[in-house]
Amino acid sequence: MACVYIPVQNSEEEVRVALDQLPRDATDILDILKAEQAPLDLWLIIAREYFKQGKVDQFKQILEEGSSPEIDEYYADVRYERIAILNALGAYYSYLGKIETKYREKEDYFIQATKYYNKASRIDMHEPSTWIGKGQLLLAKGDGEQAFNAFKIVLDGDRDNVPALLGQACVHFNRGRYSEALELYKLDPDNVEALVALGISDLQTNEAFDIRHGMEKMQQAFEIYPYCAMSLNYLANHFFFTGQHFLVEQLTETALAVTMHGPTKAHSYYNLARSYHSKGDYEKAGMYYMASVKESNSAHDFVLPYYGLGQVQLKLGDLRSSLTNFEKVLEVLPENCDTLKALGHIYVQLEQPEKAQELYRKATKIDPRDPQAFLDLGDLLISTDANAALDTFKTARNLLKRGNEEVPLELLNNIGVLHFERGEFEVSTLFFDTPVRYTWAVMGITGIVRYPVDASSVIRQYKDLTLFQRLEEQGLSVELPWDKVSVLFNLARVLEQLHNTESASTFYRMIMYKYPEYTDAYLRLAAIAKARNSVQVSLELIGDALKVDEKCPDALLMLGDLELKNDDWVKAKETFRTAKDSTDAKDSYAAVCLGNWNYFAANRNEKRAPKLEATHYEKAKELYTKVLLLQSANLYAANGAGMVFAEKGQFDIAKDLFTQVQEAASGVFNVQMPDVWINVAHVHFAQGNFALAVKMYQNCLRKFFYNTDSQVLLYLARTHYEAEQWQECKKTLLRAIHMAPSNYTLRFDVGVTLQKFSTSTLQKTKRTVDEIRATVAELKNAVRVFSLLSAASNLHSHGFDEKKIETHVAYCKHLLEAANVHCELAEREEMQTMQRLEVMRQMELADESRRKAEEQRKVQLEKRKQEDEFKQVMQQEKHLQRIKGLLDTSNNEEGGQRRRKAAGLEDSDVDDEEHKSTKKGPDQTADMQMSDGEANTFNHEIFHANTSMINSGSPLVRPILLWGDDDDDEAHDDPKAASLIKLDSFNEAKELDRMTKQKSVISSTDEDGENYRYMSRIVCVISIEFMRTELAT
Amino acid sequence: MKLAPLNTVQNAHDDSIWAAAWVPPTDDSGLLLLTGSLDETVRLWNPNGPDKLQTNTGHCLGVVSVAAHPSGRIAASASIDSFIRVFDVATNNTIATLEAPPSEVWQLQFNPQGTTLAAAGGGSASVKLWDTAEWKLIATLEAPRPEGLKPSERSGSKKFALSVAWSPDGRQVASGAMDGTISVFDVPRAKFLHHLEGHCMPVRSLVYSSAPLDSRVLFSASDDGHVHVYDAERKTLITSLSGHSSWVLSVDVSPDGAAIATGSSDKSIRLWDLKMRAATQILTSHTDQVWAVAFGPTLQTDVRSCLLASVSDDKSVSFYKYS
Repeated sequence: MACVYIPVQNSEEEVRVALDQLPRDATDILDILKAEQAPLDLWLIIAREYFKQGKVDQFKQILEEGSSPEIDEYYADVRYERIAILNALGAYYSYLGKIETKYREKEDYFIQATKYYNKASRIDMHEPSTWIGKGQLLLAKGDGEQAFNAFKIVLDGDRDNVPALLGQACVHFNRGRYSEALELYKLDPDNVEALVALGISDLQTNEAFDIRHGMEKMQQAFEIYPYCAMSLNYLANHFFFTGQHFLVEQLTETALAVTMHGPTKAHSYYNLARSYHSKGDYEKAGMYYMASVKESNSAHDFVLPYYGLGQVQLKLGDLRSSLTNFEKVLEVLPENCDTLKALGHIYVQLEQPEKAQELYRKATKIDPRDPQAFLDLGDLLISTDANAALDTFKTARNLLKRGNEEVPLELLNNIGVLHFERGEFEVSTLFFDTPVRYTWAVMGITGIVRYPVDASSVIRQYKDLTLFQRLEEQGLSVELPWDKVSVLFNLARVLEQLHNTESASTFYRMIMYKYPEYTDAYLRLAAIAKARNSVQVSLELIGDALKVDEKCPDALLMLGDLELKNDDWVKAKETFRTAKDSTDAKDSYAAVCLGNWNYFAANRNEKRAPKLEATHYEKAKELYTKVLLLQSANLYAANGAGMVFAEKGQFDIAKDLFTQVQEAASGVFNVQMPDVWINVAHVHFAQGNFALAVKMYQNCLRKFFYNTDSQVLLYLARTHYEAEQWQECKKTLLRAIHMAPSNYTLRFDVGVTLQKFSTSTLQKTKRTVDEIRATVAELKNAVRVFSLLSAASNLHSHGFDEKKIETHVAYCKHLLEAANVHCELAEREEMQTMQRLEVMRQMELADESRRKAEEQRKVQLEKRKQEDEFKQVMQQEKHLQRIKGLLDTSNNEEGGQRRRKAAGLEDSDVDDEEHKSTKKGPDQTADMQMSDGEANTFNHEIFHANTSMINSGSPLVRPILLWGDDDDDEAHDDPKAASLIKLDSFNEAKELDRMTKQKSVISSTDEDGENYRYMSRIVCVISIEFMRTELAT
Repeated sequence: MKLAPLNTVQNAHDDSIWAAAWVPPTDDSGLLLLTGSLDETVRLWNPNGPDKLQTNTGHCLGVVSVAAHPSGRIAASASIDSFIRVFDVATNNTIATLEAPPSEVWQLQFNPQGTTLAAAGGGSASVKLWDTAEWKLIATLEAPRPEGLKPSERSGSKKFALSVAWSPDGRQVASGAMDGTISVFDVPRAKFLHHLEGHCMPVRSLVYSSAPLDSRVLFSASDDGHVHVYDAERKTLITSLSGHSSWVLSVDVSPDGAAIATGSSDKSIRLWDLKMRAATQILTSHTDQVWAVAFGPTLQTDVRSCLLASVSDDKSVSFYKYS
């Protein structure tokens, strides 16, 4: 045990002080020292001991006492010890200044240190240790030039002063002049510290050769003195990179054992932690990182363990702690991209996307050439701002390309999907195309080796997998790695959208062949089959998908739609229920479907049961509202709610809702909602705004159906009918027939329209002959149409009562007769007018000739009486003129009277006609009923208009039939009922189908997005883990 | 293989044009085009002008089909009121008025030999044949009804016959129906041969290949957006062409048999290269549904090219040169 002996003054005795048992209170020792006038070197030894034990205050107390003026006086001639004390204090303060972060305190410490060194200098100008101290101080202050000078002064005195040389080397080192530093370090080949420094400077050059050199130096130092913690750490660091973890642990443990120095220990712990980290032992790594953090105290000294700790905690799922650690790193290094990305990642996990976005944006700004940051940012943006996401992804792709790195599959996929969602199909194929080009090539071959398919089994083509089997038999392997399935699926999806159905189906089938559990492929094939009306195949494919995953909600929903299409109401409801249950009510689509189901259930029954209807509406409304509460932006649910309102007669609210939905839907490319257009039109119709309704129907037809939907044409015709635009109505119906030739209802409607047109023309008080002729022509057509229908009903039933058609035929024939009478009358009238005109013309001619004769006579008279007096002639002239004028007027009067007579005739004709019709009854009464009936119809219309509301059921089918009913009694209603329901459900199913289609588009692309996001997350973590340790070296 | 636009007549009719057929040249006149429209008229065009030569009235309710006799002297037109009017092309004198109630009439087609006129019979689910000498109904070709179906199940309207096509030798007739099935008949024996399946939506247009070696090949256009290529005798599907985004309303084959043209509700006309089995050209000049496309015979001046005409709901007629 080390002791010092303080000689007692004026005696031979000594006081023994055990260095490890120094009193806590330094005053005791000081008293002894002062009392015994102990030599100053003892003061220094004791103070140093205090410092070693970490008792800084005692250390300061002793030294301050030791440098006080009275001591100076007393020990005036003991110069060296006094200088040593002052230098120790100076060194202490310059150390404090060096580690202090706050500017003012730092300055203060440096001033203190300078004071002590200056004092030391005053005692002896040439003491080298003071100069070395000063040099160190200047070095700490960062004043390399002056420090260098200070060291130089020492070296001028003693050329081999090792500390001065080291100091100078250090200055060189700091300035980056490694080679010069090296020169100086080399002077003393056995000095361990010099070797270590030399090693560090070698390592710092970052060149393979020098690094090896540096490591050799370290090893040398280690061999000379195996307990230098610094060299141990560096060796450990080296072995960490060479992957010799066992050595790392041994070395660092030794280092930890031999040093008490905080930062060095921190370094050692860090090395150890890193070693465990890379071995995947996160628990241990975390512990050691923590130890390292504790040793270094401040993040500013040694930031790496915080980073490591953050990573380990992230890995272990402790997001909060990880967050704090990374934030500490960021405080020290505010521009470190990896930290920014790591933080961004954590915020994503914590579901704070705004913060994450901000961080990623910062990262991309700081390093605009880091594709990873762009990738992550893009992922974040996908859900909020697709356009920005696309731009970001494109940047990432360009960066990767420029860096000649392989562009990841997911990135291409995501760009493709985003283009797809913007409706840029052609562009998006390019992105999907690249990664699966090989597959394309194989398919190209299959294009050539296509096999003719037997036409009776051709309907099954969407399930046919023999193609691939045959290919394999031919030795053409069809490879499809798992990671490319999504891309291939997306490619097929785009091709489908581009109507390249054949290629799309081949790809889907290929996916099916290779990965029979990939249900999306089944469902898309089912959708294609359904679009082509192959219901059976579609059902089978959905069945297959359900075999793979019996709770697959998409499959269930499609199944439900198809069941509706097949008119299987009860089953459909069950299926929708199951679908809803299997999605935990999260997927609102199932709820909307159920709502629709209820809605149609309320409408489908021909015999109205108000109670049942009301419950169904309530149920539908409830379902729609529930969905709306969850997702206020759900267009389909909003549309449904609008329907229920319309159903209850609240048209203004309904219109509002529909208009909003319409606006929302027209902004998005992949939402196609013709339903809402039709609904808006229906509301206009119900409110009597026929012109608006017509416009809306026409727009809808053009926008969504390529003008091909006969149902919408029927609505349009109905509106024209209500607006009494007979020609338009007829033309529209003819177009509808051209579209759907086998729909005999349309023909019936044409007949009714023609009939109604004729009736209304004949009832007009004023009509031209042409009008009546047209009426006759149209009536002939009507008779023809009804007769054909009547004849056709023998062949097959099409929902009409034969008797009723015959009534129509009879009625039209009767009208035709009446019209013919009219026509004859009109024609006769015309003839009379013609004759009258002829008479008048002849009279005028006669008049003319008479006048001419008179003139001639006049001329003759003139000739004869040429010699008569001039006045007489004049008088005669006037007289003659007067006679002529009189004649003219009388003629005119005659004509006028005749005309009046004719008009009278006409009047009586009209009277007659009216008379007749009242007598005949059916004519007039029919009309009365018609107006009654119309009121009725209008009510129906409201219902029906609503029926069609969401899914454009078939509002008009029934009302249009009612047109016919208006003309005779209502007894014939029933037979149509059955066929009507069929029509209804057919249409809904079609509509639902439309919805499903969109839905599956969205969902499938979503899923891919999801996939990708997942993958990129992994990539991100990996990158953090194996982040380059530029920081470390 | 290319279509070069020549002329377009805007407002060629007062309303949608639904049908078009080429009238072969005779000694008196050159090649003419016949069009039928919703405006209840049939009009005759000189493609070189292009100018209107004649307007035939006499139909009630829209004209759905027109056909020209191979001699170029006689033509027929059919309308929704189910009458067929046969007339002299030059004078517009009515030669005969045909009907076969209760059957409607849709597509009309003279056989290549000019002895028979075939009409798709709509709801009667049959093809009616008239001889062109005396205009007598000579046969009704009917596909057998599927067994086990009661008449109440409206099978009639499902097999509703829409379109008809003659094989080049005149021995076969194919007919397309609303439900997408195609029936093939042997004409001399007046016998049903078989169905060609694959479409499940209306087949509105059919044509046999004109290439001498491919005379069994039948092209069909359907509302499902596809054109199928069948071997009508072996009843196999050779290939299926997709690309139109809506109904395919009309298909015709070029005289050299190397290409087909299709018109669609998506307003476009596509020219398909049969060797490549892909569309080589897409024309989008029409602004509404293209109801008919028709290749004319090879030009006398240039045997390697011919004319193509298209008519549309946009009331226009367009002429192209195919080479």
